[in-house]
Amino acid sequence: MSELNSKQENLRRRVERILPTVVKPGRYVGGELNQVHKAWDSVRTHFALVFPDIYDLGQSNLGIALLYDILNKRADVAAERAFAPWIDMEAAMRDAGIPLFSLENKRALSDFDIIGFSLPYETVYTNFINLLDLSNIPIFSKDRTVEMPLVIAGGQAIYNPEPVAPFVDAFALGEGEEAVLDVVNAYQAWEDKGGSREDLLIRLAEVPGVYVPSLYEVNYHGDGRIASIQPTHPSASLPIDKRIMAELPPPLTHFMVPNVEVVQERVSVEIMRGCTRGCRFCHAGMVNRPIRERSVNDILDTLREGIRQTGYEEVSLLSLSSSDYSQIIPLINGLGDLLREQQVNITLPSLRIESFSGEIMDALQDLSPGGGFTLAPEAGTERMRNVINKPISDAEFFDTVREIFEHDWNTVKLYFMIGHPQETLEDVAAIAELAKETLQIGRRIVGGRARIHLGVSTFIPKPHTPFQWAAFDDPVSIQEKISLLHDRLHGSKVKMTWNDPMASQHEAWLSRGDRRIADVIYKAWQNGARFDAWREHFNIEIWQNAFEDCDLDPDFYGKRARDLDEVLPWDHINAGVKKSFLKRDYEWSMEGRIRPDCRQQCYSCGILSSFSELRLAHPDGGWKCP
Amino acid sequence: MVDGSAPDMNPQEDITRIRVLYTKGESLRFTGHLDMQRIWERLLRRSSLPVRYSQGFHPRARLNLASALPLGFVSQSELLDFWMNEPLPINEIHSRLSNTAPPGLEIKEVSQATLSEDALQVQMAASEFEVEFFDPQDPEELKEKVDDFLAQDTIMRRRRKKLYDLRPLVLEINVLNRENDEPALQMKLKAEEGATGRPDEVMHELGYENTEYLVCRTKLILSNTLAKVSITQ
Ligand code: SF4
Repeated sequence: MSELNSKQENLRRRVERILPTVVKPGRYVGGELNQVHKAWDSVRTHFALVFPDIYDLGQSNLGIALLYDILNKRADVAAERAFAPWIDMEAAMRDAGIPLFSLENKRALSDFDIIGFSLPYETVYTNFINLLDLSNIPIFSKDRTVEMPLVIAGGQAIYNPEPVAPFVDAFALGEGEEAVLDVVNAYQAWEDKGGSREDLLIRLAEVPGVYVPSLYEVNYHGDGRIASIQPTHPSASLPIDKRIMAELPPPLTHFMVPNVEVVQERVSVEIMRGCTRGCRFCHAGMVNRPIRERSVNDILDTLREGIRQTGYEEVSLLSLSSSDYSQIIPLINGLGDLLREQQVNITLPSLRIESFSGEIMDALQDLSPGGGFTLAPEAGTERMRNVINKPISDAEFFDTVREIFEHDWNTVKLYFMIGHPQETLEDVAAIAELAKETLQIGRRIVGGRARIHLGVSTFIPKPHTPFQWAAFDDPVSIQEKISLLHDRLHGSKVKMTWNDPMASQHEAWLSRGDRRIADVIYKAWQNGARFDAWREHFNIEIWQNAFEDCDLDPDFYGKRARDLDEVLPWDHINAGVKKSFLKRDYEWSMEGRIRPDCRQQCYSCGILSSFSELRLAHPDGGWKCP
Repeated sequence: MVDGSAPDMNPQEDITRIRVLYTKGESLRFTGHLDMQRIWERLLRRSSLPVRYSQGFHPRARLNLASALPLGFVSQSELLDFWMNEPLPINEIHSRLSNTAPPGLEIKEVSQATLSEDALQVQMAASEFEVEFFDPQDPEELKEKVDDFLAQDTIMRRRRKKLYDLRPLVLEINVLNRENDEPALQMKLKAEEGATGRPDEVMHELGYENTEYLVCRTKLILSNTLAKVSITQ
């Protein structure tokens, strides 16, 4: 046995010893059906894919599963998974001196060539740096030496990469299916040529969609606002365009089947990417343009094949707004046949009110009788819904509600947001009235079986949206609005759930943060912050103290409305939608002016100008842009 | 559940009851009993055998696992029954199951069971285990510990707040002195409904924590004796 192999065997044994002492040890063993296990020495490039939360969540993530599949299809690459150990496991690992390891070969992460982190939301940032630390890899990019792994990151949160820029060697912006292979190629080319770590970073900066933050310099005004963001090397482009796939990539059917329970165990297929509705608060709706659809046949074949390869008893359709899928009726009918033939169930994603027809409900009823139905009006009054560009009249809303109950669904889930720009207490009170009226309608039609769940979240201004300049509401004011809803719902049977205003505020700080906020994240982590997405672990005081220690004002990031001509920390990132378009849309919102779905009329949001060549090269890509 | 027969039996149909002997390897060590049932349901769905499902909106395969294996153990000998709507050659069933089994679950033997038999849980009589130590052991010392254990008439222990006597559940313990190998233990424990001995309880009594050894179930012993002496715990 070589020295390396015995070191390896040693790690395996040490892990084996601590497993019986932790909760749900099955999270840390791997070996699932459809796992790809390659002999370590049989490949050239070792790529670790890391989701910085527990296995139960990460294993359900379709993005990770897709990249795992794409990378492992290459004979010269092995992609292996790692997730955040739960608190007890982390303690046991640190105690026993066990570094973070991959599930497939049980290798320390520091043995890999490239580590790719998925950063889907800001609340994983402390976990992310904690995992670097647990891997014995320096947390700051500048401290890494040439023999250490390359640390890259992707995901929805990093359309504003700045808060984690000092920790990441390179970001892959946008859709990663092709970019990840380009990164591997650049890495291998650098290895062939030999060179410094900086040579590697420069090579990566030349890959489309890759942002190397160390090759840019940020200058600030005296008050903390940004003066400029400039490249410091000719290979660093400005702006950095996100990557998109001209057509939806082949769907995954080879899903891994976990040996212990995880949050989602089903065959999922993405039926379309992107959204054209243009809700002004919606990050996903703006950064994932353009719309690209998958054909009905492709979807049904994928589900059938996925069931065959996994044995799952449930399937699900993924998209931002499924009822906007142009072939929704043929799809639902096809699904009905599939479900009967395969004896499986379906989970229906959230459906949008405007595009709802009786015809869709008739078709849906067969698929999922008696279950719940989700509607997301997001604001309580017509005025407010025009401000956020989710225009629907109260009358239309109640018509839809009536149709739902008449089709024999008993439970309606309603999603609303509070804290929108221009919101008044009347707008908030109207949410309660709408929910109560919905329950009344339900009672009249299905009687005592009618149930209403009201989910209230808090508006968080997000980068690359028309509301990116808006202020985050004050937590005290949010708390008042929640109390108001409680009062108004008192005595009714409407069940309400809401978000912790402090947790929303934390997300607001990070989502529009600049590079300086990285020190706050680092400080908070040093003081014990991790699993910030978990209510029982989130601690606002740690964060408040961290801001203080770093001499930064959290309100500068949260409550402050940005000037329309301010340089924003993410201005050098092109997510496809132009700043001028967002600005006009923000101005329209202040006039209460709506912008209809752009499938009726193109508003030149920037997608076509950013991706004109790609569009021309793929006339049949399923795009809904002209 | 003591009824081993399939529900809604229609005499017109040619229902068969299939018994599978299989392993539970490393990667399934920490997969609990309920998760094992789901693994089997999915395995059966992938196999596309004519498995008998329950009626209704969430159809489920009817399964019957002989005996829950405690978390952290591996096994060379697990038993399960399932039902099919029509018969198929045994070797065909065997290969279809093998082709869709997950890593660590090896199909060792497939046979047909009689429909009228009791459920496997009811037929369970005893289990045999082998215990390997992670650290080197002195065989003499080990032998002494085992002898001391066996010399006692009662060994009262508390498990999930219940007081019970472990000693009568232990039928045998032997020290295995395998060639060129560390000593290991072999034990045979009672596994009747309501009177099942757990190897980890025995090991604890011998002075070992569960981080010091690996348990493998090596054999399940079924009995068709209906009159059983029940041991109250
Ligand atoms: S380019 Fe036009 S059609 Fe396409 S997403 Fe933008 S506004 Fe909509």
